[in-house]
Amino acid sequence: MSKCRIPLGPFHPLLEEAEFFDIKVEGEKVVDIEMETGWMHRGHEKISETRSYTQSIFLVERICGICSTSHPFAAAHAMEDIDNVEIPERAKYIRIFIGEMERIHSHLLWLGLAGHFIGYDTLWMWTWKYREPVLQIFEKVSGNRNHYAMFRVGGVSRDFDNALIPEIHPVLDMLEKKMLMLAGAVKDDPVLRSRLKGVGVLTKDDAINYCANGPTARASGVDIDVRRDDGLEYDLVNFDVIVLPNGDVYDKMVVRVLEIIESVKIIRQCLDAFPKVGGEYLNKVKHISPGEGIGRYEAPRGEVFHYIRSDGSNRPLRHKVRAPSFSNIPTYKASCVGIPLADALITLAAVDPCYCCTERSIRVVDKNNKKLEHNILTMSREKTANLKKVVAGSEKTPIDRIFED
Amino acid sequence: MSDKGTEFFEKFQDKMTKVIKKPRRNYFNVKNEDLWEISDYLFNTMGCRLSICTATEVYDGLEVLYHFSDDTTGIYYNPRVKTGLKNPEINSITPLIEGANWIEREMYDLFGIKFKGHPELKKLLTINNPHFTEDDHPMRFNRNRTKEK
Repeated sequence: MSKCRIPLGPFHPLLEEAEFFDIKVEGEKVVDIEMETGWMHRGHEKISETRSYTQSIFLVERICGICSTSHPFAAAHAMEDIDNVEIPERAKYIRIFIGEMERIHSHLLWLGLAGHFIGYDTLWMWTWKYREPVLQIFEKVSGNRNHYAMFRVGGVSRDFDNALIPEIHPVLDMLEKKMLMLAGAVKDDPVLRSRLKGVGVLTKDDAINYCANGPTARASGVDIDVRRDDGLEYDLVNFDVIVLPNGDVYDKMVVRVLEIIESVKIIRQCLDAFPKVGGEYLNKVKHISPGEGIGRYEAPRGEVFHYIRSDGSNRPLRHKVRAPSFSNIPTYKASCVGIPLADALITLAAVDPCYCCTERSIRVVDKNNKKLEHNILTMSREKTANLKKVVAGSEKTPIDRIFED
Repeated sequence: MSDKGTEFFEKFQDKMTKVIKKPRRNYFNVKNEDLWEISDYLFNTMGCRLSICTATEVYDGLEVLYHFSDDTTGIYYNPRVKTGLKNPEINSITPLIEGANWIEREMYDLFGIKFKGHPELKKLLTINNPHFTEDDHPMRFNRNRTKEK
């Protein structure tokens, strides 16, 4: 049978972000897949060399809009690793609280998108409905729904208000109840089972060889979790690492649902500890000595890795950032080949890829060596004004133009 | 340090220089020709995972730091390989570890380090960027110097 090439992307209604897949099919079966990246550069590694350590933490928070606290978490660990800085116990609990709340909202977001990809929009609407109270708690705790700016070298930047504890408990109860309901629904639903069971299998050997991490590796039977292995803050709380053996999309889904329930368990332990553990929440670090530091954190998608090299000044000499998707996206070569094209899309989505995390390292410099800096808000307003003009005037609408081309 | 780690340092004692041992992090320099053997031991015998590699430009050349994570103990083993500023070249470990494929392509893209033995060494991140030619390596300090001449 002759081979056919299907280009998907870089801008495609089915994809959430800009990426390009070159899928080769034989009949309906995928025989090869190539990926191309490079549409999301912002240049964090280079910019970070021009910022002080505290500014760097706020800079790396902007790498990802969903798991936005995982990069500051790892960067703070890397900076503390150089001098072995001890952080206060209350700060540890606040860090765990923020990290686990984020895991819940990120997994819920993925679960909704996974439902959307297989045409199960009820699941999408449900999970995003349950995600909203989590974001509202973030707004109460940190003042913001998504970029929390809670991290500093040596602790956290603001204290947790103990008066919020009675408001958070009902949300956790609701989440646990609904997640158990969802776990039951996912496990029992014959449509979901037939759509996800045995689809896009990533074997344990492949997961190890591709150096996969996070839920992608854990669903393939690789028992790794940075929270338990590194254990810097997470030694204070008890939780189970969810590991499943099959490596298909169904197991990846179940791992995430069960991890939400574990996160609820961890947050309850934090809320119990907050009234008992008082005192300082920031150990002020004045100076970082020359040396190298490695910091990592288990983000919702896997291991976030930061490496910082210091020369004794107030800026990092080298700041390396590795997002989990960078290791997980190449596993498509193992998991997508040999399956029908219709199943390929959910397999591509199953590792919860985050392309703006994966590509982050170029600063755009134009021909005259000037930095290109645009005010995105102004650009957005201009674009909307132009669109309004086009629609209101006698000119053709943008949709008409698509058909002309 | 775990027993595995002690055994590793005893076995490769002669091939390492500038060893820095911290409780959870170990940094040491190795030669380019010993990289394959050490990576093979770390990956296949000790069961470490290659997290990522960090390339850095320093005053006397380029250096690549390989971060191998032992997930059973949380200890990192970081072999460091040095190469010159002109025609930087290092042996590829992609035939050994499939996960190193994108990592080496990224370092080739940003720093211009050629990995000998890599199955398809091409740019990863700036491949579609109209501002960069094949010879542009944006993380190098002298990126535009050759162009101006």
